[in-house]
Amino acid sequence: MLRVADLSLSYGQVPVLEGASLDIDDGQFVSLVGPSGSGKSSLLRAVMGLQKPLAGSVTTELAKRDIGILFQDDALLPWRTARENVALGLGFHGSNRRRAADHADSWLTQLGLSGLGDRYPRQLSGGQRKRVALAQVLALKPRLLLMDEPFASLDAIVRARVTQDLVDLAERERIGVLLVTHDLEEAISLSDVVYLLSQGPRARMSQRYDIPLSRPRKLIATRSDPRFAPLLERLWDDLSREVDRGAAEAA
Amino acid sequence: MERRKYVWLRQFIAFAIIIGLWEAAGRAKLLNPLYAPSPSRIVGALIDLFAGGTIWPHLEATFGAALGGLALGIVVGTVLGIAAALAPFLAELLEPVMIMLNAVPRVVLAPLFVIWLGIGIASKVALSFVLVAVLIFFTVFTGILQVDRRLIERITTLGGGRTALLRHVYLPSIVAWIMGNLKVAVGFAFTGAVVGEFVAASRGLGYLLSFAQSTYNSALMLALVLLIMVFVLVIFALAGRLERHLLRWR
Repeated sequence: MLRVADLSLSYGQVPVLEGASLDIDDGQFVSLVGPSGSGKSSLLRAVMGLQKPLAGSVTTELAKRDIGILFQDDALLPWRTARENVALGLGFHGSNRRRAADHADSWLTQLGLSGLGDRYPRQLSGGQRKRVALAQVLALKPRLLLMDEPFASLDAIVRARVTQDLVDLAERERIGVLLVTHDLEEAISLSDVVYLLSQGPRARMSQRYDIPLSRPRKLIATRSDPRFAPLLERLWDDLSREVDRGAAEAA
Repeated sequence: MERRKYVWLRQFIAFAIIIGLWEAAGRAKLLNPLYAPSPSRIVGALIDLFAGGTIWPHLEATFGAALGGLALGIVVGTVLGIAAALAPFLAELLEPVMIMLNAVPRVVLAPLFVIWLGIGIASKVALSFVLVAVLIFFTVFTGILQVDRRLIERITTLGGGRTALLRHVYLPSIVAWIMGNLKVAVGFAFTGAVVGEFVAASRGLGYLLSFAQSTYNSALMLALVLLIMVFVLVIFALAGRLERHLLRWR
């Protein structure tokens, strides 16, 4: 569905990522973890076409509208209601206003925001705004969803609920996901594959972990699976080594 | 809430005391009415203006010039601001001109406009327009350059193009910035109209001010100042309502 091959990126004059490769198959949930500054977000932006690569390629058979992205900030238009925000993308792709509004309402309902369509973003809680942003992207029926720690700012319970809703949807609709996260437990409990980036600058893809946990996933239950702890320990050790190596190189 | 009510009451009492002292000083002949007429004389001059009906053509002239200049200034300033922000080559041409116009106290252009456009309403509209258009140009131009990049990326990633960006990001942002500066723009528009009339006119509040000055009629001058103040405050209140309606999402 998506292939990133030997991708190199820079942030201004600073080389961030060098020769990174990854694959995402149809309906696969892939997480990208790594130390801060390893270029995880830049990779996501390059996949979306928001950042030009220095070298390498991003290839996909998907059309642009089949790829959705959720940033850390919900970036909702403050002057549009929740319904209008969700309907926005539908309007860009030819839906008339009435149909887009109906469709937006149905997505708001699916994500537990029934009756909140007329509210402006400032009138919504952080969790509700994230759900609106999610509905905005999902309303376009993407086949691949890119997510840059979209729920990081939420409190634990709201975050767990929104994330579980997302996993249920992704499994049901067979949506591929590429998630950037700092949370190793989240990465393992959600993903089919986890990629570890090395310490930047010039970060590389240092490890790939196949997660053998079955689907459908229940996030809390998954963490008590006997295979979970060893995976977390291995990922933690590898990430710690990367961070230590980066610190040693910096010194 | 109670506290706020008392603030209003204290302000009213202080104002009443000052007016009372002023009136008392006038009646006790402590103030020369030629320079500082008492409040009752000023109110008398105001009543005379309305009672004789002479004020209406002057109000019409000033309001026509100010509101015409305001509307034209907002439209032209917005269009030029958008064009300069979205087309760098236009910004290269427009920005220095606007900076130069902003650098001079623009009311000094009033005599020039009278020479070019005559003593009729056109020269007053032109002065109000220049005052407002430069303000709105910089408001819109710098506003668009500082627009939230995340909103632009959001629209782009949802599949929107330049038209969508203009409609969903730039225009609502522009409305917010203009609303934030509307009261200043209203003040500028009236300044332009009144100064223009003061320089050369046959009608308008500025013309009446000039007449009152040449006849040493301080009561009429202060009555006119009061009148302008009241009308501008009314327009401020209307602008405030419009702002609350258009920016209800805040």
